[in-house]
Amino acid sequence: MFRYILKRLLIALITLWIIVTITFVLMVSVPGSPFNSEQTSNEAIQANLEAHYNLDKPYHIQYLLYLKSIATLDLGPSIKQPSQTVNDLLGRGFPISFELGMVTIIVAVISGILLGILSALRHNGIIDYLAMGFAVLGISIPNFILATFLIQQLAVNLKIFPVATWSSPMHMVLPVIALATGPMAIIARLTRSSMLEVLTQDYIKMARAKGLSPWKITIKHALRNALMPVVTIMGTLLAGILTGTFVIEQIFAIPGMGKYFVESVNQRDYPVIMGTTVFYSAFLIFMLLLVDIAYGILDPRIKLHKKEGGEG
Amino acid sequence: MKKHLLFLLAIALVLFLAACTTGENAGEEQEEPDSAETESGEEESEGTAEESSGEKILYLNNGIEPTSFDPSIGFDAVSWDPLNNLMEGLTRLDQDHKAGPGVAESWDISDDGLTYTFHLREDANWSNGDPVVAEDFVYAWKYMLDPDTASPAAFLGYFIKGGEAYNTGEGSADDVGVRAVDEKTLEVELEQPTGFFLDVLTNPAFFPVNHKVAQENPEWHAEADTFVANGPFMLESWEHNVEMVFAKNPEYWDADAVKLDKVHFAMVNDTNTQYQMFESGELDTASIPPEMSDQLIDGDNVFIGPYGGLEFYRFNITKEPFHNKKIRQAFSYAIDRQEIAEYVVKNGVEPAFGYVSPGFITPSGEDFRDVNGDLVAFDPEKAKQLLEEGMAEEGYDELPPITLSYNTSDLNKAVAEALQDMFIQHLDVEVSLENQEWAVFAEAQQNLELQFSRSSFINDYNDPVNFLESFITDSYMNRTGFSSEEYDALIEKGRSETDEEARYEALFEAEKLLAEEMIATPIRYYNTVVLEAEGVTGILRHPVGYFDLKYADKQ
Repeated sequence: MFRYILKRLLIALITLWIIVTITFVLMVSVPGSPFNSEQTSNEAIQANLEAHYNLDKPYHIQYLLYLKSIATLDLGPSIKQPSQTVNDLLGRGFPISFELGMVTIIVAVISGILLGILSALRHNGIIDYLAMGFAVLGISIPNFILATFLIQQLAVNLKIFPVATWSSPMHMVLPVIALATGPMAIIARLTRSSMLEVLTQDYIKMARAKGLSPWKITIKHALRNALMPVVTIMGTLLAGILTGTFVIEQIFAIPGMGKYFVESVNQRDYPVIMGTTVFYSAFLIFMLLLVDIAYGILDPRIKLHKKEGGEG
Repeated sequence: MKKHLLFLLAIALVLFLAACTTGENAGEEQEEPDSAETESGEEESEGTAEESSGEKILYLNNGIEPTSFDPSIGFDAVSWDPLNNLMEGLTRLDQDHKAGPGVAESWDISDDGLTYTFHLREDANWSNGDPVVAEDFVYAWKYMLDPDTASPAAFLGYFIKGGEAYNTGEGSADDVGVRAVDEKTLEVELEQPTGFFLDVLTNPAFFPVNHKVAQENPEWHAEADTFVANGPFMLESWEHNVEMVFAKNPEYWDADAVKLDKVHFAMVNDTNTQYQMFESGELDTASIPPEMSDQLIDGDNVFIGPYGGLEFYRFNITKEPFHNKKIRQAFSYAIDRQEIAEYVVKNGVEPAFGYVSPGFITPSGEDFRDVNGDLVAFDPEKAKQLLEEGMAEEGYDELPPITLSYNTSDLNKAVAEALQDMFIQHLDVEVSLENQEWAVFAEAQQNLELQFSRSSFINDYNDPVNFLESFITDSYMNRTGFSSEEYDALIEKGRSETDEEARYEALFEAEKLLAEEMIATPIRYYNTVVLEAEGVTGILRHPVGYFDLKYADKQ
């Protein structure tokens, strides 16, 4: 187990290096500079700006500077918010995105699994149809439309919740609903279909025959196996939601880190592009590692150390 | 039935347990700085609710986090709008949008117009109690011009003698023509006479910097607890990306005129959200979401004012067919600007029949725009005729393909499509449209790769020369390939002529020449449209410059 994790971490480092390199190449090959603007300017000012951010140096020097800054975990100031370092931006944004994402995941997982089990147990019953109808809606309505709708109804018209910004638990309710509905629906459908499959298996019949109580069968025997597909999608889902979402954060004016993924590219804010890419990649790799470890715990048949050769 | 019940209970239990464990995790995460923020945020909002009984608090939206509160760095409205209320330069725009006394109580201008001597107020102080001294201006301006500072606004300092040389690395700080005669007297030498220099000085780039504070802590402007203000307000708190709170600055020399106790700046970037916050009473002002413009624009609570700026399209005169003047003119005559303003852009904007936006006052007290009149018009007949003549001159049977480019945005697209339509209808020419992401577009335009492309201009200071000088030979802002000795000479006169009448005469001529040569075709002027809650008064929104809350009030 320990050796396995160590090996995975080593591979992660190499993966990160490749990602940094590709990002750098893409970054410098896209036309445009962070200083293009409609504002009055002149050549001297542009040259001063480029010199200030080392953009006048040859590409290989810039590349080495980035590698160095990533290795020392100090990406320096953002070009578009020069009074802030990239570490400041991510350090302030990530905890907020993480908090929102964590609550969202908890809500989505609990309600998704609950809905999934209910529909599986009531297969082709009213509850099943209602739950799955709800799930289809949840998957097909984009979260920004849901968000706008929720704000208009619950905040502007009924005045139950504040419209936006981020200062109290009440401010969290609407974004969590908007953000959780989609993942919840996906989880519900996954749980339902794998529950249906598991419930027909011989070992469940066996358990019934042994006279085990139905809830014990469902929770201990069926659900455990039925959760495998859910665990599979959790890695990417967690990494995606915990690092913030551009649209929802924008609509609810949540100061998370979601916007930096999009805006840094639009603004050619190179240090922030590097920072967000490396951060997201590292986080995703870590989450996938957690998922693989979780497999082993949920299903003892999966032996991590045996997978080494196959995984590469 | 019973077994189902048992099962449901079991599920509930499992979920409860799951919620507890994960809940704990979430709790642990929250103990990082984040939870502290949330809690203090709560306390604060409760606090303001209690205080609000006696205090006047204005709730505004800044859209996004300011780029920087370093006056030399934050060269944009999101930084300079708030900063204009935290600090004050030698002059400040008054209620008539003219440069009036600010930190400087009075000034003397030498007869040759080259030397300005400013007398600073005895009672002008920083929010930490230090007096505002002449050295603070010397420090701030030299810092702005220092090439290492890399200030995007440094070009504004080129009016000062030696400013350009220092900024371009050819001169030194010592040769910059600004010096502190004594604590409260500042002497500024200019490169050449500049009739609008007092206006230029209202710009936040010329704000003083408390040199004692800045020498000790170069990052003084990054956080609320180190920020020193000398304007009507001071920075009470600044939670980055979330909110700024300004409080009335008791050290401000004119503190008695300031009516508000506090100003909250939210940072809500979504136009629908900020409008919904305005509707629910969480904001006192808001902009109008584009899709609601028709409904809201005529309301009583809407402020519509001019904003010194122009949307226009540049012809690239180094590329066919726009190297031909008549073809350029033909395209310009085919544009129905009234229709674009009224039905495409909407939001109360004015069509542009000249380049210099309304609101610039000539020495005789008239509006520059009225005096110089309409320079472009919509005339399909003339357009067709000019196109024929132009094509004959060039020997075209058919026009080379024309691409009209704009940077990606819904509004730009709508305008571009309207233009496309007008060219088909009035010239029988089909242009293709091309949109590009901003940075790509801007670079292509700069490199003269685009044939016919969208542009906008927002004034940096209150003088018509600001826009017109963009088109002098080899200017970084030229972006058309235009070069004319006559035009360059007119602009030179428009910058430095000491006789104001003659200076404006040169500017009138320059604008006419630009229209005659048809280097760029104006579309519409920008405006400011703001929804204001009932009881909000006195917010000064200057056509050129940054908004001022000094006299703002809320009932």
